[in-house]
Amino acid sequence: MSSGDIKGFYRQKKKNGGVTKPSSSSSSSSKKSKSKHYTGGASVGAPSAAQTPALVTRGGAIDLKEEYGDEEEALRQFDMDMKYGPCIGVGRLERWERAAAMGLHPPLHVREVLVGLASGSTACSSKFKCLWEGLV
Amino acid sequence: MADSEMGEATLERKLAVYRNLDERFVIREERYKGQQFSHIYFMRLHHMRSQLQSLIPKWKPHLPVNTVLGLEEGKECIIVGTLYKHMKLKPSILDEYSKERSAIPLVKPHNFMSTDDHLILEDESGRVKLAGPMLAPSAFVTGIVIAVHGKETSEGDFFVEDFLEAGLAPQVDRPLDSREDKFVAFVSGLSVGTNAFNPLQFQLLVDHITGHLGDENEQRISSKIVRLVIVGNSMHISHGFFSGQTVAPKDHAKLTEPIRELDIFLTQLVAALPVDIMPGCNDPANYSLPQQPLHRCLFAGASAYNTFVSCTNPHHFELDNVQFVGTSGQNIDDLYKYSDAKDKIEFMERTLRWRHLAPTAPNTLGCYPYVDKDPFLIESCPHVYFVGNQEKYETRLLQGPDKQLVRLISIPRFCETGVAVMLNLRNLECHALSFSTNL
Repeated sequence: MSSGDIKGFYRQKKKNGGVTKPSSSSSSSSKKSKSKHYTGGASVGAPSAAQTPALVTRGGAIDLKEEYGDEEEALRQFDMDMKYGPCIGVGRLERWERAAAMGLHPPLHVREVLVGLASGSTACSSKFKCLWEGLV
Repeated sequence: MADSEMGEATLERKLAVYRNLDERFVIREERYKGQQFSHIYFMRLHHMRSQLQSLIPKWKPHLPVNTVLGLEEGKECIIVGTLYKHMKLKPSILDEYSKERSAIPLVKPHNFMSTDDHLILEDESGRVKLAGPMLAPSAFVTGIVIAVHGKETSEGDFFVEDFLEAGLAPQVDRPLDSREDKFVAFVSGLSVGTNAFNPLQFQLLVDHITGHLGDENEQRISSKIVRLVIVGNSMHISHGFFSGQTVAPKDHAKLTEPIRELDIFLTQLVAALPVDIMPGCNDPANYSLPQQPLHRCLFAGASAYNTFVSCTNPHHFELDNVQFVGTSGQNIDDLYKYSDAKDKIEFMERTLRWRHLAPTAPNTLGCYPYVDKDPFLIESCPHVYFVGNQEKYETRLLQGPDKQLVRLISIPRFCETGVAVMLNLRNLECHALSFSTNL
């Protein structure tokens, strides 16, 4: 956390006056930031060296995959694949079932992730909605 | 059942085996979750594309099939996609917000075609403008899926050399063993509740069908009518009542009188023979297609009979294994607004060739935003295709390339013409029944 680094705090604010393009795959990950990742106003993707230590991993690359894991990455790839039709307005599981009924052979591991989430204790309901849910 | 006054043997009405196939049009488990129309277009493209892909090898086997994004300039190929017709005269909701109010014509034309209309082909990857004299925009509408053969020009358009429509769907064989005449009667546009409605004229129709009119010969003909189909706009509820505002007590009668009057006539009919009633654009039913069946509580008298069947619009049923598909007219009327043909029957032919009952839905015709299906796709060619609420009675026997035979019927508005239609199940022959009260 940025407890001692006041100068760094202010520098961050000036540099990032507007919206910066995140270096990761989508902008919704910034919307999904939870408060525990609050790093004193640092916006996602800011390349400044005054990044707070929490975000910086070994080698200096910004670790944003804390926000979402490989599972979410696979789900997002499924969302974006045009072969299965539009993803907006339809839940991911429903879209998977539809693709299967149409004979398009959607990837099985996507379904496993979604079914696993439904029965899991940490039911994260946002994973059932597509990437652009609520944004478009 | 008709009794002769002399007390001779009663004439028995003929029966036909009926199967109601409206299930795909009934909205049961569908829940609106905020989806848009992209899904119904995706389902339509996917289904029609697989049908066209099985036909392309017989059409032009040596050409590659590309996606729109995969087009290369000058390379001859085939692309499959949904047509979009750009029409400058098509009314747009954005016109209301336009700053140049003078550009909007004060009198709205009935037909929105113009010489500037052009066609665009679209698939999941992109869209391309179609050029060339082969595809006349006046014969096409937005929403149909076709295959086009041609090549990309230097301007980025696709020059069309030839095109392929899916054509008539395969047809199940009609049973040829029937030796007796059995008739189905169609009537449409009764418009009970308007000034155009003539109760005596409709009573004549009711009496004829139930066998209360004429001598024994005529009663014998009536006893061969196995079913009556009422094809939409049976009553006319003034559209002012649909605005959602509370109806003043003095206006209650205007709302309920037409329904009650229709119920009295319907009760006479259902007591005599099975009746199918479909909703139309003026009936108290939902606006967007598929219109759901009129509620039983509207017909306190008629719904007590098991011969009363309230149906969806479009309506699909089977009588003695003869396939019937029909609508109350909205699909053909919308085609008439956005394209050109020599008569309404030609529009009907086109919908069969495009294998879609209402291609302009959801673009200019209201329709439910289905997610996992497009119920208007025609998978099997019907034997009888009827459309109600038209200007005049027209009929044609359409022959398909695969031995398909379809009877096309355009049913006129009864309140204006006094004409109902009779179809013979044995040979698909059609004739008009005309009722006049002019002395």
